[in-house]
Amino acid sequence: MHDARDAEDIRLLAANDHATLLATYYPVVLERCRLRLPDPDAWEVAQRVALRLLSELRRGKEYPVPFRVVVQMVTTWTIKEFFARPRTDPWPEELDLPAPDPYDDFETDHDLRLLFGDLPERARHVLELRYLEGYDHEEIARRLGIERNAVDQALHRGHIRLRELVGG
Amino acid sequence: MGDVALLFDEYAARWARGERPDAREYLARAGEGEVELRELLDRFLTASLPGEPSDDEIAAMQAWAAGQPPLLELRVRRGLRRAEVVDELVTRLGLAAGAREKVGAYYHRLETGLLDPRGVSGRVFEALGSLLAARVDELAAWRPPPAPAPAVYLRAPEPDLPVAAPTAGAPPEPRDEVDELFEGHAAT
Repeated sequence: MHDARDAEDIRLLAANDHATLLATYYPVVLERCRLRLPDPDAWEVAQRVALRLLSELRRGKEYPVPFRVVVQMVTTWTIKEFFARPRTDPWPEELDLPAPDPYDDFETDHDLRLLFGDLPERARHVLELRYLEGYDHEEIARRLGIERNAVDQALHRGHIRLRELVGG
Repeated sequence: MGDVALLFDEYAARWARGERPDAREYLARAGEGEVELRELLDRFLTASLPGEPSDDEIAAMQAWAAGQPPLLELRVRRGLRRAEVVDELVTRLGLAAGAREKVGAYYHRLETGLLDPRGVSGRVFEALGSLLAARVDELAAWRPPPAPAPAVYLRAPEPDLPVAAPTAGAPPEPRDEVDELFEGHAAT
């Protein structure tokens, strides 16, 4: 569902504009690292992710999944690796991503709209306006022509959905 | 919504608006819900769309990918000479004019990635951050990537250069305020 983003990433990949690609994703990579590590370590791990991606892009590596998914997978893997191994370990030569599986839920895991895909339509609209556009609760109620209470209920449903997904 | 849900809601909406909220501030406010909030935020960040990078961010990444220090790139983009930054730094840190040369040497090392930013005081980063309008601690933490392709240079024989006499016997200079500002916070 992140069609526009994926199209832009494909364009940047074709143009070998690696810096713009990495600059696009670096803030979210760093923020995910910061969730689990203090700053010096978070910077180091985020930089490892950028280095990993830059190395692969320079080699012309082609990915079987959208680039945004690659970024998140490399980030997850690098954070795990940081905790699991001494920092001085050499990087593995290649990060082999699995071939895309039509039954795999990688796309769902990396697309907020799909995470909420099984909720009622109105709840999905509320969640999209809040978590993709950043509108405040009153503005969402006004835009959708619903009560503020209904906005809160939809957000509550979304929160329950997310808690289920993270096993909470 | 409970506390965790409210914190998540506020953070996620700010992120969606293109702000850069500090997740750790939210985790600190979550109390016993910290673990749950961390997982929720990670899930959100994994599935959310990234914002458009600023020109500064792209330029910094271009510099890094080309093997150049991002902090140096930022200063050049701001149209500032190194000497101007050093002068401002001395003033903003309330140092004596006599410290300028030493601050300049430290700043040069910081800007070119030769000084471990973990040892640098937050006061230095705060002063530089307000001067350059950027998160200077993040920029200074970048290490150069491997070059895209090794350049092949014809190496001429090096001329005989005088070699400084060993100084092993000289006593180390006592550390001063400038040393403390740039190296006094050394991490383990």
